[in-house]
Amino acid sequence: MTRYLLRRVGQSVVVLFGVSVAVFSIIHLVPGDPVRLALGTRFDQRTYDALVARAGLDDPVLVQYVNWLGNALTGDLGVSFRSGRPVTELILERLPATLSLAFGAIVVALLIAVPLGLVSALRPRSAVDYVATFVSQAGISIPDFWLAIVAILVFSLTLGWLPSSGYVGLTEDPVEWARHLVLPAVVVGTVSGAVLTRFVRSSALEALGEDYTRTARAKGLPRRVVIGRHVLRNALVPVVTVTGIQLAYLLSGVVIVEVVFAWQGLGQLALQAVETRDYPLLQGAVLLFAVFFLVVNLVVDLLYAVVDPRIAR
Amino acid sequence: MNRTPRASALAATVALLVAAACSGGGDDVPVDGEGAGSGGTFVAAISAQPDQLDPHQTTAYASFQVLENVYDTLVVPDPDDLTFEPSLATDWETSEDGLTWTFTLRDDVTFHDGSEFDSADVVYTFRRIIDEELQNAYRFATVEDIRAPDATTVEFVLSEPTPNLLDHVGSYKGVAILPEGAAEELDLATEANGTGPFQLEGMSADSITLTAFDDYWGEGPGVDEVRFRFISEPTTALTALQTGEVHWTDNVPAQRVEELQGSGDVTVETVPSVDYWYMAVNFAKPPFDQAEVREAIALALDREAIADAAQFGLARVNQTAIPEESFWYHDYAPYERDVDAARDLLAEAGVEDLTMGLMVTDEYPETVEVAQVIAANLEEVGITVDIQTEQFSTWLDRQGAGDFDAFLLGWLGNLDPYGYYHSQHVCEGENNYQGYCDPETDELLERAATEADEDARKELYDEAAERIVDANSYIYLYNPSVVQAWTDEVSGYELRPDRAINLETVTLS
Repeated sequence: MTRYLLRRVGQSVVVLFGVSVAVFSIIHLVPGDPVRLALGTRFDQRTYDALVARAGLDDPVLVQYVNWLGNALTGDLGVSFRSGRPVTELILERLPATLSLAFGAIVVALLIAVPLGLVSALRPRSAVDYVATFVSQAGISIPDFWLAIVAILVFSLTLGWLPSSGYVGLTEDPVEWARHLVLPAVVVGTVSGAVLTRFVRSSALEALGEDYTRTARAKGLPRRVVIGRHVLRNALVPVVTVTGIQLAYLLSGVVIVEVVFAWQGLGQLALQAVETRDYPLLQGAVLLFAVFFLVVNLVVDLLYAVVDPRIAR
Repeated sequence: MNRTPRASALAATVALLVAAACSGGGDDVPVDGEGAGSGGTFVAAISAQPDQLDPHQTTAYASFQVLENVYDTLVVPDPDDLTFEPSLATDWETSEDGLTWTFTLRDDVTFHDGSEFDSADVVYTFRRIIDEELQNAYRFATVEDIRAPDATTVEFVLSEPTPNLLDHVGSYKGVAILPEGAAEELDLATEANGTGPFQLEGMSADSITLTAFDDYWGEGPGVDEVRFRFISEPTTALTALQTGEVHWTDNVPAQRVEELQGSGDVTVETVPSVDYWYMAVNFAKPPFDQAEVREAIALALDREAIADAAQFGLARVNQTAIPEESFWYHDYAPYERDVDAARDLLAEAGVEDLTMGLMVTDEYPETVEVAQVIAANLEEVGITVDIQTEQFSTWLDRQGAGDFDAFLLGWLGNLDPYGYYHSQHVCEGENNYQGYCDPETDELLERAATEADEDARKELYDEAAERIVDANSYIYLYNPSVVQAWTDEVSGYELRPDRAINLETVTLS
């Protein structure tokens, strides 16, 4: 197990290096001069030159990359052009909001997907199944920004139950944290839940048709045990994979929902970095997203072992 | 000045989608006990997060919305007529030859850290901007020396007369006064030490908090605390205003003004701004080098329709840059829509089947809207418009490289005609991307830049403006309005044409 872990971590380092090279090349290939953009419409050659020098953009790209890599290895991701603040600081500032939303949404998604998917798998072609299929189809099709705005108008403006927007830190005020989290988490979770429902349904259906399920039934196990121990457990393997991918995706930011709820997460930060061509910030953000995917995948692989003991061996 | 307000096309679309769905009403949710009683916390929703708080380095409008309340300048624009009035300087005079300006400073001002304000701080501030070539350095090209003969006197020694020096030292907080050594002692991107009515308390990804400064030299402030929240989606900002979560916002789409004014739960005000929007064609690209072709374009435009498309009846058509309210306004409007005359001019120029690329950017959604109207207008005179929507970064690159037929954009926040006309229209102007070059206009603009007599100076600018309009160096379109909304709890707030958000006199009931 330890050897397996070490190998996975080693692979991750190689992947991260590859990602950093790719990102660095791509952002320098994309048109758009960050300094011209920082100056806005009022252009002045001397100011421009001074800014280019200050941002280190007058060095050759390769030198810039080596400098960046050297600093990154010591944990210093550089300073954002636009804000003059360390990239690490900007990312850490937004991490709690993103973690809250991602995990909140995944919980909502699972609460929707597991019962709904299971029920419709157990009674295929029943009314429940059609309703579940319709609901998940609708959840996939409805644009999340629309759902977000409707949620704000109904629960905040009309009913006045929940705040319309913003984020409050968990450590600052847990109650307000939860109140602010409900709407965005439900909106994002509904969309993810709709995707997951279909996975739960199809993998549960598959497990229901397996020989071991038939055997379990045949030897007279109670239905509860058949479903709980045999069907659900086997059905969970693919669901864990998809949930992991969904989680990693949510961790890299759900830009549109963040914008609508004024939720200052990593998605908005990365978007701003792209729009302002803030190379160090973008570089840092993308690298972090890569880390999220690697970590989540690793955790998913370890979870397989828990769900399916044959994998752990 | 070059502020870049953030706006997204998505936001505008969403706002349109739900404009009808949102009828106001509903229960008021109080702001967690804040806002009750005297003082209180004033919560403002601004549409973007300030990129940084160094007044000399940021170019973001969001930053200046905050900094306006933290820092002071030597002089400030009077909100009513936009002439300059005293602030940290009580008095100023110009030498006979116009080459020395002497400012007398207040002697009762302290910075937020308790240190005294004096002339050394002023010298330090302007030396920093000039020596480090920060973005406002261009304003001080004629400054040879800044001296401090005593603690309350500062002298600007100039290489040539600079009648608009007040504009340069006071039009906005980009030239705010810092205490001596501030850049070395503080991280100005995240820390502040000003002389304004509020001091910086804290900042997060979600909001910036200011607290009242007890030793403020002026009146006020009237609230204990100000919190700027960053809400980029207009529907969300307006909902937060209607539920009472915020007290004020400038994130109000023009198409919702009428409905909000009718609803009665919030106050919505508008005032004509000092900004202007225009189209420019590339003089270096035939056939746009021909005056007839440019005039044909100018004659083909339905300017009322353009202004309506831009701001739903809130923008005002103007064929020059400077709005009516300004002392520098010049009433000159030679173009009236005439499709036949435009066709004749094109025929005269021997131009057939012309296709014009029109570069716009979703950074400013109104350019995209306006481009549709312009395309329809020009279609009627036989010009096909190819609308090219670019990301702002690409847009700026193409503008800088001269890689365009025509583009749409605006200039924001100018007060003095030098800012409105000079670098955009002199032959070697750094913002003369269209490539207009007329020796007579050049001479007029250069003379105006150093003319000390205000009336004579205005005449020179009027004449220059007429030449610019006649040659269609810029095809001026309209001046937009400032739109802001606030709740009934707010009093003492004044909307300003230069979009400065000054909360010094605001109180909450």
